[in-house]
Amino acid sequence: MTVRREKAERLADEELMPLIGEKDPEAFEVFYDRHGGVAYSLAYRIVGERAAAEDVTQEAFISIWRSGARFDRARGSVRSWTLSIVRNRAIDALRSRAGKAPKLTFDDDAVLEQRPAEELTEEEAMRRETAGEVRGALGELPGEQAKVIELAYFGGFSQSEIARMLGVPLGTVKGRMRLGLEKIRGELAEGLA
Amino acid sequence: MTETDHDRYSEDIAAYMLGALGPERAEALELHAEGCERCRAQLRWLTPAVQAISEGVERVEPSPRLRARLLAEVEADAPATATEPRRARFRLPALRPALGFAALLLVAAAVLGYALGGGSEEGGGTRTIVTGKAPGVTAKMVSEGEAGTLRLDNVDQLPDGKVLEAWVRRDGEVEPVRALFVPDHEGRASTQLPSMDGVEVVMVTAEPKGGSEAPTGEPLITIPVPQ
Repeated sequence: MTVRREKAERLADEELMPLIGEKDPEAFEVFYDRHGGVAYSLAYRIVGERAAAEDVTQEAFISIWRSGARFDRARGSVRSWTLSIVRNRAIDALRSRAGKAPKLTFDDDAVLEQRPAEELTEEEAMRRETAGEVRGALGELPGEQAKVIELAYFGGFSQSEIARMLGVPLGTVKGRMRLGLEKIRGELAEGLA
Repeated sequence: MTETDHDRYSEDIAAYMLGALGPERAEALELHAEGCERCRAQLRWLTPAVQAISEGVERVEPSPRLRARLLAEVEADAPATATEPRRARFRLPALRPALGFAALLLVAAAVLGYALGGGSEEGGGTRTIVTGKAPGVTAKMVSEGEAGTLRLDNVDQLPDGKVLEAWVRRDGEVEPVRALFVPDHEGRASTQLPSMDGVEVVMVTAEPKGGSEAPTGEPLITIPVPQ
């Protein structure tokens, strides 16, 4: 192990990012070793294929390598920032593979216009929910809250699409998302207490 | 800002954090939150919940190849250190014996491809050149202003220790581009060409990790750039 690598390992994520912004490969290596596993797992959860998940992870980490200096600590931790980049890339890949919604032009109404209503079935939604069991934080939620969160976060569906496919008012979807996130957050806070 | 405004945006926060808000509403929410401490506080409060959802996925180990590929690309893209030899420019004639007849055929095929409509001027200083024929390596090069983006398809996986290196020829001299890259699982590879000024030809070769001062093998693809 090089001295530079050892030094990088002692740094916090927030201290690594400026080094990555300066194109320091050792800093990037440490950064990948810390977050690559969960990033890949998230990508795999969304796209459902190993090769595609690797491509998503690679694209996300290379984009971070090329724009590491853009990390803004005011908007959360390095890890949550990284996972949001991976999640967005994975959803893009999912949509691109499905050939339905164009990248970065995803809009509730536009998507509904592009896709026949009969496509927006729960069956399709469940197909996108690749691995069966709801795990982790979602496992503690009432089923209807977990479902809307899964469809949004892992399936890439908008709140309007979810309302349509579940046959419930948009306000109900909003409410379930809010209650679900607040419950997860509350349990995290209790765990820290 | 009225209380009603705040309530309306506040209702959208969970959907926003889950990526389920359309871009226009998301942008409006971000704009509102800049001036609304209560919304900012709610966004901060819920951030760990979204992270917990990400962290809750079943762990699946990526292959060591992913790490190797990433680090190879990163090292290739890192600025040269003081210990690395300075890259030299050299004259094209020195390249010719290495390229051989096959390369000349590739150039001819690429020129033909352009002549058959593979290249187009799109206005606004943007130009696209498409060359190669599937199932072989194909290239799409988009130049906008001074810079260019090169995308390859159908690139075979490289042996361990090899990377792709891009080269440009100006005034008969071939020079490396500080752009080493590797293909993904589907054989796609892309890189940036910082300056297309005066470039006559773009080439890509497979080189040892860290890149070479001069091409060491025949190009995977050669893209003539009409002047």
